[in-house]
Amino acid sequence: MTQPSANAIIADDEEPMRDMLRKRLSEVWPELNIVAEAANGIEAIALAGKHQPDIVFLDIRMPGLSGIEAARMLFNRCHVVFITAYDQYAIEAFEQGALDYLLKPVNAERLKVACTRLQARLGKQPDNIERQLSQLIRQTTGKPEREYLHWIQAQVGNSLRMISTREILFFRADEKYTRVQTLQGEVLIRKTLKELAEELDPNEFWRIHRSTLVRVDAIAEVTRDLRGRQMVRVRNSQEELEVSRGNTHLFQQM
Amino acid sequence: MMGGRTRNALNFVREVGETASSLWWNFFDWLAQVPMRQLVVTWVLALLLATTPIIHPKQAGFFIFVSLGLKILAGGKRKAEIEARKASAQAGTETLERRLVEAQMAALQAQVEPHFLFNTLALIGQLIETDPPEAAKIHTHLIEYLRSTLPQMRSRGNGTLGRQIQMSRSYLAIMQARMKSRLSVSIDVPPELESATFPGMTLQILIENSIKHGLEPKIEGGRIDIRASMDNNVLQVEVQDDGVGFNMYSGDGVGLTNVRERLKLMYGTRASLAIETPLEGGCRAIIRLPFAPDIFAKPL
Repeated sequence: MTQPSANAIIADDEEPMRDMLRKRLSEVWPELNIVAEAANGIEAIALAGKHQPDIVFLDIRMPGLSGIEAARMLFNRCHVVFITAYDQYAIEAFEQGALDYLLKPVNAERLKVACTRLQARLGKQPDNIERQLSQLIRQTTGKPEREYLHWIQAQVGNSLRMISTREILFFRADEKYTRVQTLQGEVLIRKTLKELAEELDPNEFWRIHRSTLVRVDAIAEVTRDLRGRQMVRVRNSQEELEVSRGNTHLFQQM
Repeated sequence: MMGGRTRNALNFVREVGETASSLWWNFFDWLAQVPMRQLVVTWVLALLLATTPIIHPKQAGFFIFVSLGLKILAGGKRKAEIEARKASAQAGTETLERRLVEAQMAALQAQVEPHFLFNTLALIGQLIETDPPEAAKIHTHLIEYLRSTLPQMRSRGNGTLGRQIQMSRSYLAIMQARMKSRLSVSIDVPPELESATFPGMTLQILIENSIKHGLEPKIEGGRIDIRASMDNNVLQVEVQDDGVGFNMYSGDGVGLTNVRERLKLMYGTRASLAIETPLEGGCRAIIRLPFAPDIFAKPL
């Protein structure tokens, strides 16, 4: 039985993987023309626009755009088959969501099944997979609603040093600059305390004063001085940080 | 009846004895711990009291004589005891902490990234058909990589810079086979620094970070440079890439935390990890630690 002919594009960032898939396809479906090969998601979309293929084989992890994002941008204009070596979430989603997928290394039996399915659907309109894809994007990227600043950039000598917020004890406004106190010492940055207060995780740093942001789990003790002001002392630092009147509720007795 | 009264009397005697002995030991403890200056003050007080009819001067003299003798005998021993107890308590918490951190480290290190493993196996599978000698080479590299990454397989003498570089070469060779022209690598480590002790896996974590977060997401790929140098007995190891750069909103990550903890555990404040973003782009990670050659290391 001769098989119908069709055009296809292969997209995978790893060349040996493209070679393997092309070879396997030529064995199980000799009539299929591989009209182009893409090495990343953006290239895959561009080539799909140019060649208008019937089928696109998309690797999931690619630079530029992931295979899932690329598939979404093809707007159901062609049949999509995903390829992956290991993507726990994606595979689960594929099994639930009737999306076609292949596991690397692609085995001939499995490829044959996928090809037979594709052949049966060739003349028809590709399934609308938009809903499954957007769900998949949410699952695989797994981004929290809000992202906080975890690194502070500071000019040290000739280069920009990245300081993890975990290493920072407190920030203090210092005229035009903000002073960043770490275990190793201090650096000055241009970012204002107001900007920092907005970008940092409010559970990680507390604003105890107009000019002070302190790392919560670095606090060693809170005392009262003779004038009744609350003073915060931080581990590994001698400096006393004043708590302004409006913020004393932070340290109320439980 | 008689038996009961005898028992009561015996109990009374025992209680008196116990009270006396506990008083005596309290006095002994006090004497052992009291600072010499306070003891002298007590003696002066005793001498003053001796001038009044309350205490006979002979009693005061006896008290001073006995307490001085006891102080000399007991003080040193007691002090040593207390210090030993304190030290062993501290050592206890330290070992406990160390063990906890080591267990955490082991757990973290056991994570060979499944994505890496599956992709590499897929590559070997494909090369077996098209290029068997290349497949054998990659296969050997993978074994070398797993041997040094999986904790239960980690062999002794892994703790030198030379050994770390060797295993990273295996990893990079695999990544080059997969990424082809998208990845170039340069390693510049003077041979005399290869015997330096270097905490296991730290270099590998930095390299994997560079590839995963810097170069793999970059369409045209890029290069990774690994350099080691020594200045004033401080060993400096650098991993630099020209990848997509640093995401300030991404967490510290398991890897970098692991490196930082490990350095703190082994060297305290004498070692450091710095992350920089060079002006020309990409990312540079620098580890500095005291140089110490591992004299037990087997030559490579």
